[in-house]
This record gives sequence, C-alpha cells and structure tokens, in this order.
Amino acid sequence: MAELELRNITKRFPGVLANDHVSLSVEKGEIRALVGENGAGKSTLMKILYGLYRPDEGEILLRGRRVVFHSPHDAIRAGLGMVHQHFMLFPSLTTFENVIYGDEIARLGFINRDEARRRVRELSAQYGLALDPDAKVSELPVGMRQRVEIVKTLYRNADILILDEPTAVLTPQEEEELFAVLGRLARAGKTIIFITHKLNEVMQISDRATVLRDGRVVATLVTSQTSPAEISRAMVGRDVMLRVNKLPRKPGEVVLSVGDLHVENNRGSEAVCGVSFDVRAGEIVGIAGVAGNGQNELIEALVGLRPIKSGRVALRGREITSVSIGARRAAGMAYVPEDRSAVGLALDAQVDENLLMGYEEQPELSQRGWLNFGSIERHARCLVERFAIKAPSPREAVANLSGGNRQKTVLARELSHQAALLIAEQPTWGVDVGSIEFIHQRLLDYCQNGHAILLVSADLGEVMALSDRILVMFEGRIAGEVQGADATEHGLGLLMTGAVK
Amino acid sequence: MQTAWRNIQGPALAILGSLLIGALIMLLSGHNPIEGYGAMLSGALAGRNAANLASTLARAAPIVGMGLCAAIAFRAGFFNLGGEGQLVLGGLTAALVALNLPLPPVLTLPLTVLAAMAAGGVWALLPAWAQFNFRVPLLISSLLLNYPARFFASYVVVNLVRDVQTGMPQTRQIAPELQLPLLITGTQLHAGVFVTLIAVAIAALVIGRTVAGYRLRMAGLNPTFARYGGAPMERLGYGVMFASGAVAGLVGAIEILGVNYRFIDEALTIPQYAWVGLMAALLSNSSPVGVLMTGLFFSAVQTGGFGMERATEIPRELSRVLQAIVILLVAARGGFRLSGDR
Repeated sequence: MAELELRNITKRFPGVLANDHVSLSVEKGEIRALVGENGAGKSTLMKILYGLYRPDEGEILLRGRRVVFHSPHDAIRAGLGMVHQHFMLFPSLTTFENVIYGDEIARLGFINRDEARRRVRELSAQYGLALDPDAKVSELPVGMRQRVEIVKTLYRNADILILDEPTAVLTPQEEEELFAVLGRLARAGKTIIFITHKLNEVMQISDRATVLRDGRVVATLVTSQTSPAEISRAMVGRDVMLRVNKLPRKPGEVVLSVGDLHVENNRGSEAVCGVSFDVRAGEIVGIAGVAGNGQNELIEALVGLRPIKSGRVALRGREITSVSIGARRAAGMAYVPEDRSAVGLALDAQVDENLLMGYEEQPELSQRGWLNFGSIERHARCLVERFAIKAPSPREAVANLSGGNRQKTVLARELSHQAALLIAEQPTWGVDVGSIEFIHQRLLDYCQNGHAILLVSADLGEVMALSDRILVMFEGRIAGEVQGADATEHGLGLLMTGAVK
Repeated sequence: MQTAWRNIQGPALAILGSLLIGALIMLLSGHNPIEGYGAMLSGALAGRNAANLASTLARAAPIVGMGLCAAIAFRAGFFNLGGEGQLVLGGLTAALVALNLPLPPVLTLPLTVLAAMAAGGVWALLPAWAQFNFRVPLLISSLLLNYPARFFASYVVVNLVRDVQTGMPQTRQIAPELQLPLLITGTQLHAGVFVTLIAVAIAALVIGRTVAGYRLRMAGLNPTFARYGGAPMERLGYGVMFASGAVAGLVGAIEILGVNYRFIDEALTIPQYAWVGLMAALLSNSSPVGVLMTGLFFSAVQTGGFGMERATEIPRELSRVLQAIVILLVAARGGFRLSGDR
C-alpha cells in the first residue's frame, strides 16, 4: 500500500488550469523528486497536499485511507510536515523555542523548558541533525535554519516531509549535509517529497522523479534508470535546452564599469567583496551563482537601492557611485527587479500608471509638471500591444493580471525607453513557458540594437543560453569568468561551489 | 462610470449600514426611527431661510478642510495624525498676524492666511524629519506633537496675549475689515467656505493630474515601487507633509477670520474638527472630492443631531454613534485603505 496517494487532483484558478488530473503515489521511505518548470503546477499540488488549497476534484489517500485537509493544521495532525522555501521562523527566539512553538510542552500553563530542550536534543541526535537548542535563530546560518525547520516538522511527528526547493538558498556544503540528512530520514522510514528544478539533485538523491508540465504529470521516472537528458526533455516537452536565436555579436564601447565594489548586507557584513567588471554595448553579461552569494546586494548597489561602501560605478563614463536612483535612470539605466510585485509594480495601480513609472517627466508624457493623459494612454496601448500584455484595457489594475503578464508589463516599461544599460534580475521567474521564449527574444533583440545587458539568473540554462560572458559569484567575489560559448553546467557548477579558483 | 461606482460603493454601503443600525438603536430605546431621521434631516437641511442648511455648510467647511489635510497625507502613505496641532498653530498664527500686522487689510488678509498655512506646514514637517532621520514612526510622532502645539497655544493665549477686557482665555477681536463676510446674515455661513472649495479643487487637480501627484499616489500604493522608479522620496515626503499641515493651518485661519474673529483657547479642538475630518478622509478612501462628500455627510449628521434633539426625545449623541458605526463598517471591509481609488 502506498504511503501517500493523490488521485486525479484538479485545481483551477481564474483562467489557469494549475493541476489537471494529477495522480501521484509515493511509497514509505521513498525520496520523491517533483520537478517541472516554473508554473508547471508543483507548488499548487503541494499546497493542496498541505491543506492550503482545496482541490476542485480528486482525493488524497494516506496509507489507503481517504483524507480531507481543511487547513495545514489538519495536514500536520495527519503526519505531514512542510519545509517552506522562505523559512517560517522567529529570528529573535532560540532554536528550541521555534521548534516547540504552537505545540508547547507545558505544565500549569508554563513552558517546560528543560523537557523541550531534551526533546529537541533527542530528535537532533536521532537523525543526525546537530543543533544547539539555545542558539538564537537570527545568529544561525541559512543551512542551520533549515535544520530547525526540519526538526520542527519531526517534533510534530511528521512521517511525510515536503521540501519546497530546499537547496535554492544553500551553499554546496550545506547542500551535501542536507542530502545526507534526507537519506537518513528516508532510511528511518520517513517519506520525502522535494520540489526542485535542478537535475543534478534529482539524480543524486531521489528514488523516483515525477515530472509536471502545464499542470499534468508527463512522466514518472525511476532515477536509476533515467538520465538528466530524459528528465529535461519531459520537463520542457522538446529537445533539451532552450535554443535561442543567438547571432554573433560584436561588443562596442564600455557602458557599465564596476571597480572594486564593496557592499554590505542587511546584517552589516560584507556581501560583495571587491567586485570589478565591465559590460559593453551589444553584449549580455550573465551573473551566475548559488543564491545568497552576493548577487542581490551587487545589483541593489548598482541600481541605487543599497548604499555602496567603497568602489566605483560608472555608466557610459560618468561616475554614478553615489547618485540617486532618479539620476541613474536619467543617465541610462533600466532595471527589471527580481521581485516584480514588491518592487517593480504597484499592483493596485493601473497598467498605464505602472508603465509610466520612472519616465513621468519625459517631455512627451508630461509638460511643465502636468501629466499628458492622451500621450500616456497612447504610450500604454502601444506597449500593451508590442509586448502582448494580456489586459482588458490599460486602465485595468495590474493585480488582475497573471504573473507572466505582470512581468511583461515591467519589461515593457524598462525596455521601451532605450536605456543604454538594462539590468535584468531573474527575468523569467514564475513565468509560463511561452512568455519565457518571448522575454528571451526581447532581451536578445535589445542587445542586438546596441544596448548592454547585465543578466542575473538562478537558472543556469537561461544564463548559458543568453550570455556572451558569464561571471560566477561565490561568497561575494567573482570566482571566475567563462565565455558563453565555452560554458558547461558542470564547469559553472564547480565555480559556483568554490571548488575552482 | 463603473469605476466611479466602485469608488462610491464601499462608503455608500457603510453609510447605509450605519443608518440601519441607528434605526435599530432608536427602535430598541423606544423611539420611532422615521420620526428621528425626519427630525435629523430637517435639522440638517431645513429651518427658516434654510438656516439649518447654512449651519451644516458652515460646519462642513472645517471638517472638509481637515479631511483634506488627512487625505493628502494618507494618499501618499503618510498617516498624519497631527492635524489638530497643525490646526491650532495655524489658528493662533492667524490671530497674532491679523492683530499685529500694521498694513492695510488688503495686504494683511492674504498674509494672515499664508502665515497660518506656513505655521501648520512647518509643524507637520517635524514628524517627517523625525521619520527620515531617526526612523520615528510618523503616525506616533505626529499624534504626540498635537499636545505641545495645543499647550503652547493655551500658554500664549492665557499668559501673553490675553484680552484684558473680557478676562477670558482668548485674544482681542480682529479688526472688522479683516472678518470674512457672511453669506447669509443671521447664520454662520461665511465666505471662507469658498476657500475650502478652492483648496479641494487644487488638491484634486494636483493629486490626479500632475507628475508630483502621480508620484504621491504611487508612493502611497507601494513606496518601494516609487523609490525604484526614481521618485525623490524624501523631497516628496516633506512636500506632502508640508501641504497637509498647510491645509490644517488654512482651516485654522478660516475659522479665526470667518467664525470666531479671535483665537479662543480650545475653540478649535473641542468640536473635534481634526478627528471628524480624519474619519471623512478614511470614509472617502482619501480622495479630495470624496472628502467633500463625506465631510458634508458628517457635518449634516452633527447639525441634524441638534435638530433631532430639539424636536424629539432622542439625544444628539446618536450622531456620534452613527459616525462611529460608519467608520467601523468601513474598517470591517478588510481594513482601511489609506490611499488609492480602488
């Protein structure tokens, strides 16, 4: 009997079929990888399993018994545990306080701290998850925080652990340790489902891999009998890597010049430690690296959202190290941010208002401080059409658009003013496959027209497909530079892990 | 049209709901709600020579003005709760300038108004400065700054410029040439209401149609987005807070020049103009034109309450109950929207 079975799960959102009769069966002690592109329906499926969404159709069976989860609370009681991508921890509390929160060992209303500590130590020892019960979570590195999350689920007697892209934030060493822990948990009879889109992880630790595409299960593969090529073919639905129409390019003069840049992160330690590079006109420079190796801080410093500690940034020969964001934009910098909803858009504002931001003082869009609504609307209509943004009208609120169309809105705005430099951060995150190709083509066209692009992406395939040169960041430094044509996933991986200097 | 209905829908339902609950309260306390609301309506709008309507309009002027003060700041995402202090300092400044400036009235009048606006505006810059430089939440500092403003004004009027003839805690009366003319004799309806209307129109135009207004609205909807787009956030914040405080100062000046003709201690705070205005701003989703409507509504409920108390057994406190219920109903619809049309 399967430990967990999903039968014909279907979930519709307005205009989207997120899960289309998905069936999935996992055995006890199995490590199952759930793979698929962004928007394939992995997260929706796991949210249904964890009780965050109710399926429109289908049922969940746990050890052969039908269960209905109205909330995560029900799922937890039934023995499920979820380790979220963004940790759900109180940074100011200690390890054991975080672990027991919501399920405290209490006597007469007082928390029995000794007993709680003992339980946490016991669980740590049992599964080889070394943890100090009294360490403050805010002082723990990311890998340890993830451990706290895992112990939290075990403390609640979880038999089935769901991990949502657990390695996205980890260093290579932490990744190895996590895999060892998952192996031990599986051998101890825990069932593990982990979401990922990294093929090497699937090959390394899973027993079987279920591939989702467009909300449907397209393959369930036994890891020992498959290959990365087969998995990726199933994921994308055509032959392996996205082929983009890359014409030979001749880089022109230097557009962005970064010299010995030092930037601190929010905790005040140095996240970017002496980075220098140039980006030339007509060239795409990619930045690759495991998340959290200083890429975010680097980009925020370049665009002016984060102060620069020392170093020099020049745009078209003009020093912009300490000028305002407005001045940077005026000097010819455009920016597609990683978090489009929190940074790149005002969701409650209309599409045309979102398309205006940063350019409201351009002479054709406003005169002497007064907005020219006629030309603003024309401008918006033109962009909506050129970028195939699916919106009923330019006056629609951006909140009512899908992820792909929101991203196209950001991109349309940032590309439409011919800035000399475009900084694009995760330009295709959470975007459907069709839009990905469209966005890639737009970026290539933009570069072809003689503009410089600095591309940051967690998706190595994307970086390799688009970039002329790839800079690999590791621990705040550029660990190496690879020509786009010579790049291999293996070679980049070695640089990203700091294995090669 | 559809957008217009979407904007009005929430406040309209809240008002309707509060009237229904008010009716229920009247029924439970043994009164006839039709009679009660009838008396309230005629108390707000009727009277000999439409005297009641005149007093509703006169009372609406400071409420709408203070609503505008709150709405301008809310719209940009700044929760300025310091309208009361800005109002009092504006009023005090207006009285002092009007009493002491040795110039012809045609110069003194505009200078009085401008000085009052400057006083309110500068006082409102203080919480913005504290927020930008020391991360003091503006909501708290602006609220707390009401107290020093009020006590300072009391101190000045009681100890320094008290009218020795009356002996009351108030200044001397300003010269008759400086007093705003009445529109209907025998009422309190003065020419100052037009100034309020002009202020509403200017605010609506600036917020809706200028580059600065666009940035202000976007900063209110998502400050990170406005910053990312290159909006000069500090300059914007100082500008918005100055404008908000200046409107409060203007309201103070109009009350001095059009109603009280002198600065009377606590005359601007006891009627709770700042707080009723704040409610009007919340009810209107911080839209200037909306504030005009909701401010009129609150004013009508208040003057109607007096009429109702005169004509029936129902105490006028019911007006305050209605006001509170409206705000609760607006809040219950998923939290206040401090800014934005939608």
